[in-house]
Parts: sequence; C-alpha cells; structure tokens
Amino acid sequence: MSAAAGGPVAVHQFVPTLNPHDATGTHTLKLRDALRRAGWRSEIFAEAIHDDLVGLAFKHWAYPEHAARGDVAVYQFSTSSSVAGYLLEHRLPLILDFHDFTAPEYFSGWEAQSVARANVAAEELAQLAPRAELGLTNSTFSERQLRRAGCRRTAVVPVLADYGRVTAVPDARVASELARLGAAGGADLLFVGRVVPSKAQHELVKVLWAYRRLYDARARLHLVGGTSSYEYSKALSGFVHDLGLTGAVRLTGEVSDAALAAHYAVADVYLSLSAHEGFGVPLVEAMVAGVPVVARQAGGVADTVDDAALLLEATDPSYVAAAVHRVCTDDDLRTVLTSAGSRRADALSGPGAADRIVEAIAGVVGWP
Amino acid sequence: MSDTDTTLPDDPQAYVAQVMAEIAEEVRLRRASGDLPPKLERELDELFLAHSPVAGRGGDLADALRRVDAATFIDPVVPVESERAAGSFVKKGMRSLLLWYVGWVTHQMSQSASAVSRALHIVDDRLGELQRQVDAQRVPPAGVVELPGLHGSGTWWVEPAVAATSKTPGRVLHAACGDGWLVRRIEAAGGDAYGVDPRAHLVETAALGALDLRAESVTEHLRAVAPAGLGALVLSGIVEGLSGGERAQLLAAVGTRLAPGGTLVVHSATREAWEAVDAPPETDLAPGRPLRPEAWCWLLEQHGYAAEAQPGPGGADYLVVAVRAALSTAGTPAPR
Repeated sequence: MSAAAGGPVAVHQFVPTLNPHDATGTHTLKLRDALRRAGWRSEIFAEAIHDDLVGLAFKHWAYPEHAARGDVAVYQFSTSSSVAGYLLEHRLPLILDFHDFTAPEYFSGWEAQSVARANVAAEELAQLAPRAELGLTNSTFSERQLRRAGCRRTAVVPVLADYGRVTAVPDARVASELARLGAAGGADLLFVGRVVPSKAQHELVKVLWAYRRLYDARARLHLVGGTSSYEYSKALSGFVHDLGLTGAVRLTGEVSDAALAAHYAVADVYLSLSAHEGFGVPLVEAMVAGVPVVARQAGGVADTVDDAALLLEATDPSYVAAAVHRVCTDDDLRTVLTSAGSRRADALSGPGAADRIVEAIAGVVGWP
Repeated sequence: MSDTDTTLPDDPQAYVAQVMAEIAEEVRLRRASGDLPPKLERELDELFLAHSPVAGRGGDLADALRRVDAATFIDPVVPVESERAAGSFVKKGMRSLLLWYVGWVTHQMSQSASAVSRALHIVDDRLGELQRQVDAQRVPPAGVVELPGLHGSGTWWVEPAVAATSKTPGRVLHAACGDGWLVRRIEAAGGDAYGVDPRAHLVETAALGALDLRAESVTEHLRAVAPAGLGALVLSGIVEGLSGGERAQLLAAVGTRLAPGGTLVVHSATREAWEAVDAPPETDLAPGRPLRPEAWCWLLEQHGYAAEAQPGPGGADYLVVAVRAALSTAGTPAPR
C-alpha cells in the first residue's frame, strides 16, 4: 500500500459485535461516518448485530457481495471472534484498531469460559498483528501489547465515544431516587464498568467500608454496569451483604444514558481501582461531567487521565479511603482535578479526534 | 461536601504532589494509631475470598465436584409463585403447556451433565492416586531456621538492612519477621514495614494492633501481593535451608512483586555455621544448604539485580543487598 493519493476506494470496518451501548460499537459507528466524510466508501461488517442497528451493518460473511479491488479492512479488535479467522482467510490489507481485551489471568478461578475466550483472543492477536499494515490503539499501554504481538507500525489515537451522554438530561426517576438517598447526607462514590474481576469492584467495596468507618458513616457507592461474570457478581453481592453494606452499595446493572447522566450528576468522586484498562472511557466521562477522578494507576489509566486524576499506586482500603476523603473535602484539590479533567476531556473528545484516526489511516493507505 | 472554589493553586501539579505525600503520611499515622488495624484489612480480604468460587481460593477438586453434582439435575418444573394476582395462574398455565418440551430438553441436559460429572469423578480418583504417590516422595518444605546469635535487634546486620530499606518508596516486607523486631526498627527509621512468618505463635504474641504482622508462609504471601507491590524485601532465617526448586520459586515471586528500583536484602548463615555441631537439629532436616555469598550475588545478578555481599564479623553469617536497576515513582505506599 502507498501513502500517496489514489488510495483505496473503500475502507470497511469489521467488528465482532456491533452494539449501540458499548465503547467499541460507538467508536465503530463514529469512525464509519468519519471515513465516509473523508471520501471513502465504508461499511460495517459484524459477527453479531444488535437489533437496534440492523440496517446499519452487514453480517461479516456477506462481505464478498460488497467487495471491490483495493478494499482495506479495519478490524475493531476487542474480543475473540470468528471475524478474526475470516480476515486471516481473506487476506485483505488490514488495519488493526485494538481496543485491548482483558487478559486471561484476571478471570482465572472465576469463569473458565472467560479464560478460554481471552486465550483465543490472545492467539488471534498474535496471528493478526504481524499481518497488519497499521495498529491503532488508545494508550501507550495497549500499544506495547500490539508491538509485542508483532505489529510493526502503530499509532495512539483517541476512542470515538459519545461523551455528551453524561451531560444529557438526567433520568427524572433515577435522579429523584438518588436525591432521596443523598438527602440523608454522605458522599456519593461512583464507578462505571462491567462487573467483572478485572474491574475489581470488590476493592471499591472494601474502600467504602473503610471510608465509612474512618471518615463518613453515611457514604454510598454506586456501581453502574452490567455483568458478564456471574460468579464474580454473586461473590460481590455476598461480600456487600456480609459487610452490612447492602443499603450503601447500589449495584444498578446496565442503565440508560439518562440514568447514567443522573449518576454522574450526583457523584462526589469517580473512583476506579480497576486492575486492567486499555483506555477507560468512563474516566473521560467523569471528567466531562466535572467529577474529580481518583484511580488506580493500572494499564492505560495514566495515559487516559494524564495529570487530571489522583493516581494511586496502592489499593489498600485505608489508603484509598484517605485519598477519597481528601478529594471530598479539599476545595483546592477538587478545583485542580476538575479543571485538568475538563482540559483532558476536551483533548480526547474534541472534533479533531476522528480526524487523527482518519489521518493515521490515510498515512498508510493513501487518501481517497 | 464543601463548595468548590474556582481559584487554582499557583502550581497545580506541585499541589497534587504535596497532597499525595500528605495522604501517605495520614495513612501511616492512622496505621500506627490503630484506627484501622491491619488485621481488619486482612479480614476484609479473607471475607471476600470466602465468596469466591473454589478455584479462586485454590480449593480442592472434591469441593468443586460436589458443586457439579449439586448442579447436575435440572428441574423442569419451574416455580409459579407471583407477586401479581393473575401471575401465578398464567405461570401455571404456561408450565402445563410447556412441561413436555422443557422436560425433554432438561432431561438431556441432566444426562449430559451427569456424564461430565462421572468423567470428572474418574479424573478425581486418578489424581488422588497420583497425589498419594507424590506425597510419598515429597521433600518437606524448608522451615524458618534461626541460628543462635544471628537474629534479633542487636545483631550487626540490622543497621545496614534498615539503612537499605527504610527510605524506599513503597512498603517493606520482612520475612521471616518473628515477633516483629526488624519491622519495628524499620518503622522507627521512617519506613512503612510489615512482616510475615509461618510461626503463628510468634506473630500472634506480638502487638498486632500496632504492627502489621501476618502468620502465613512467605511464598503464599508473595503470591497474594500485587505485581510491583513491594518497595523492599528483607529475607532472613528462610533462605538457608531452601531446596533449589524452592529458591527458584521464591526468586521468581520476588522478581515480580518487588517494584523496579526496589531493594532485596538477603541475610544468611554461612555453611560453616549451618553445619556446626551446636546448630539446631532443623539444619539437618532442611532440604537444602546455605549458598556462599558469591553464589547469591551471581544468582541475583542473573535475575537483574545489582548485588553486593557483606560478610559478618564472626564469619557465621553474611548480608547481600541487591537493587533492581530501574527507579520507581516515590511518594505513595505500595499495596499490602
């Protein structure tokens, strides 16, 4: 492929699952629009397509009906999928848009099927990376993984996310419930993410227990997000119950955008002790919503937040509780974090974000 | 919550660094005051582990098989209780209509699960037999062996060990810690130290409220420490009798748990002291023998450390201080 004008007429995207409510799905849809604006033909091919998006994408096996000479494939790699095998078989010029996947060790001892799935994903990455003309990632942490897997040329680019959803009009019913809880006083700690071992929600529960004991007996923890790990979710609920925190820890499950906005609106601190993050869209959402961020320095978190969060190297409950207390009570610190957060969010979510990805792709395949 | 002031400090990043240092200091003071004793934090860990599945706790196959057996039968008769008036009636109707179909499917699923369960029981039996054979040939693990006069706060190597570890960013672990004599010294010198020792009677008699001491095996504990979670590690009384395999496992675990730039201090009796006629009987029973200091230095350099040995004044022991090459970020305590 050349970087000169007269490149391919089509840059299509392949994705394991096209879902309107996850980071990869939103990114894929926004990137398709950006590719089309740049002048390429661009369609989305997926193994599974959410009911709400039928008509916006094709099954991956239907690609030959749309194929043309010179097509380039962008693979949105987020998990194991038969799409990977399909791309290896069809040998299209490939750009790997790597969203990272949770390493198998984080599921070890919890869900055998998740370990197996992550192992397959690692094998697929090892096969695809050396073949890719370009690897796109969202953090230097993920970039290192891509390079280790054999990708020769890489670029770190933003995730295209719908950050505006966190400042949308909050769901009235949820806002009312949160206001009722908040009326009793106490800080609201928030974490948004799937309930899985790698996100370490149990560490957040420990912190809440310590925080209530040491600083604020009426504090609450809101854990927003669905689960893909039944065993971990069950263990978490049992743990919350045993600690007598049933009324203080809210496990909301998946929520609508409006309900999510309601949670960000009341949060005093966004707290993440996740052990593995390739990027961390909710960290940016918190910054957009003006919520100060306290986060464990793990994976790509430092790349995501830059200097706009209190980054912790330890997860001891007493240590994290002290950090949360400081953020809740130190006006100067809140101002520093939210101001830096606002700047960081602008840098990651501004109108130039899509252009950076398009330029990286054009740098390899040429402009249309 | 307090209202947010819109004025930024003059140097925001310097302010954040100052805040981080103040948080670390507050935690240190709280730990020392007993506001949140380390024992309570440990109990939190154990409480969560009690909820994790068998494999997550390193439990045995028999427990897992009991769970498999309990889940093998799938009941096709779904419950019909309902909070709504007509709900129960509707559910009963649906159950009657679908029972033949659901029953057919669940019967096959139960049969399939039973077949898997039977196969797992055969595997369990064979593993049990293998386990018995292995146990008969097993070399007992090395325990803690402290030769007289080589351990305790008055010994020559305490000062260099404290000097090498007390200013290290992150937590300092002493194994085997005994009643916490070295932990106390490192804390007094400004370090954030804790200890582990498999000799529960020693640890339990120490003042748990003030010192973070844990009665557990060193290798088991290191497995539970987060990667790069330790700023420094002092090993004393445990390296002399290690078998080659145990030593390799220990070094591998230390290599991932010690932060880049962290310090490893190894105290060991010399081979002469170990084999002296007045040495305790455990020295005869241990699977291994002490290495020479040169061997430790060579071994640690092979693992990416810059190591230096100091011989003890009486020729009975020596100290090796080893530092990993990269420097770590200062200012925060590392995970327990």
